[in-house]
Amino acid sequence: MKGPLAKTAILLVGMYVFLKFILPLFTAPLPASLIFLYLALTFASAMIFYTMSGGGLDEFMGPVGRFLTGSGQAGIAGTARILVFVLFPLLVGWQAYTRLAPSDMPPAENRTIHPAPPGEFVGLANPYPTTPENIMMGKGLYAAFCSPCHGANFDGKGPAAVGFNPPPANFSDPGTIAQLQESYLFWRIKKGGVGLPVEAMPWKSAMPRWEVELPDEWIWKIIMGEYDGAGQSPRTWEEEE
Amino acid sequence: MGYKKIFNVALGLTLMVTGVWASCVLASDPPPEGETGSVAVRLVLTEGAVPADDPNAAVWNTIAPAEFKLAPQVHWPDRIQEVTVKSVKVRGMHNGQDLAILLEYADPSEDAADAAAVEFMVGDKMAHFAHGQEMLQVEGGDVNIWYWKKEHGKATDMTAKGFKTLRPQENQDVSATGAWQDGTWRVVFSRPLQTADELDVQVTPGEWRNVAFAFWDGEIVDGAVKEKGSQKAVSSWWYLRAEPPPDNSIYGYVVLGIVLAAGFEFFLVRKIRRGNES
Repeated sequence: MKGPLAKTAILLVGMYVFLKFILPLFTAPLPASLIFLYLALTFASAMIFYTMSGGGLDEFMGPVGRFLTGSGQAGIAGTARILVFVLFPLLVGWQAYTRLAPSDMPPAENRTIHPAPPGEFVGLANPYPTTPENIMMGKGLYAAFCSPCHGANFDGKGPAAVGFNPPPANFSDPGTIAQLQESYLFWRIKKGGVGLPVEAMPWKSAMPRWEVELPDEWIWKIIMGEYDGAGQSPRTWEEEE
Repeated sequence: MGYKKIFNVALGLTLMVTGVWASCVLASDPPPEGETGSVAVRLVLTEGAVPADDPNAAVWNTIAPAEFKLAPQVHWPDRIQEVTVKSVKVRGMHNGQDLAILLEYADPSEDAADAAAVEFMVGDKMAHFAHGQEMLQVEGGDVNIWYWKKEHGKATDMTAKGFKTLRPQENQDVSATGAWQDGTWRVVFSRPLQTADELDVQVTPGEWRNVAFAFWDGEIVDGAVKEKGSQKAVSSWWYLRAEPPPDNSIYGYVVLGIVLAAGFEFFLVRKIRRGNES
């Protein structure tokens, strides 16, 4: 384990353990492609270092050459050499197969769940005061128009929810309306699924375009009822600053 | 030394057999299942005629169904809050010329106004699953709807692009037959994979198409049909694909890859040995 190649191998393993397991303890995990890039840079650096520091390429790559040619090998090393020679072509064949075989998987769908709203819906404030009466009216309207899909418990589990893909939003989940402003909900309720931009796949959404059936006042009060019923608060401009 | 050689050869052969076995097992994985059911209908490639007019043909039972949950149509008035048909099992096959799709679903009573429909996006433009209705930020395309009603006893090949635009096509290319037994409808739709009509979905083996389903319970309740028009059970868009014919040329490329890799090894070792000798 004194040759330059062995030292480089140990360095690479240490580097991998550090990048993969130790670094994520302090910061976000690195993507595999970045780890690969760092390891490649480490290997290249080591190769440059050893070949420039007198030993030459032969000393660095010598063990690889001896392994591949099988010179002076016996026992485990010999078996490992046969293994590599058998596995490498099989791996190439497997790669060729997986690249060429027809896929039985439907196209991947990268649907954006909360796309950017149109400009005219950004920053609108609810024009109705948050009074018990308005909240109660909002909850009543919610029960009549929204609960069949979004659920009486605001959990997205209404009796009509089961057949839809994407499923109706679960307002009690802190990842939905709690992350959004009231103006965003106003846009989504008013324009419905067909109002979504292309990245949100409007052709799949069953959300009605409520502007053709409900006045704006009802929509604002439904928003109030939704937040209150789901136990969430709208995201406000102050929090963003 | 002889034993070592035999051991190495045996090890190599074992690895090779294991690799081939693993690739066969992995390649035959079934299509992925969604959380609430299937995500795609596979039209199985078959030889000979497809059972176009026979919902009860024995061959249907040899195909694993895809199952899709259904919801009341709530997207547009007149909406409905509860529907009879809760889910549908879909099987499909094709022979390179014609396709047949079998819909199997529970409906307690056989009624004249019972109906079923299959909907497809047509062409490259995305269309909303509710009759291809207008989208505000995306230019949508047409939908092609194959509609079957018990009292008509046949299919109607239709086109829509938005509500109130649904109309029968001039070229009727679809046929359908339904059979009700013991609370279950089995309805088979059939059509050539390809037609000359640009309003039709064109089914090309190997390519994915978007498909959705709708059902009406035609039972008479208090003198009126229970579900009609926009009051129906619907599904979202799912996927459909006609199985492509097996492409054996892939295995040729696999063998070529293995031979090239082995050749690379051979020349690499030879080059290193020659380098060492000199």
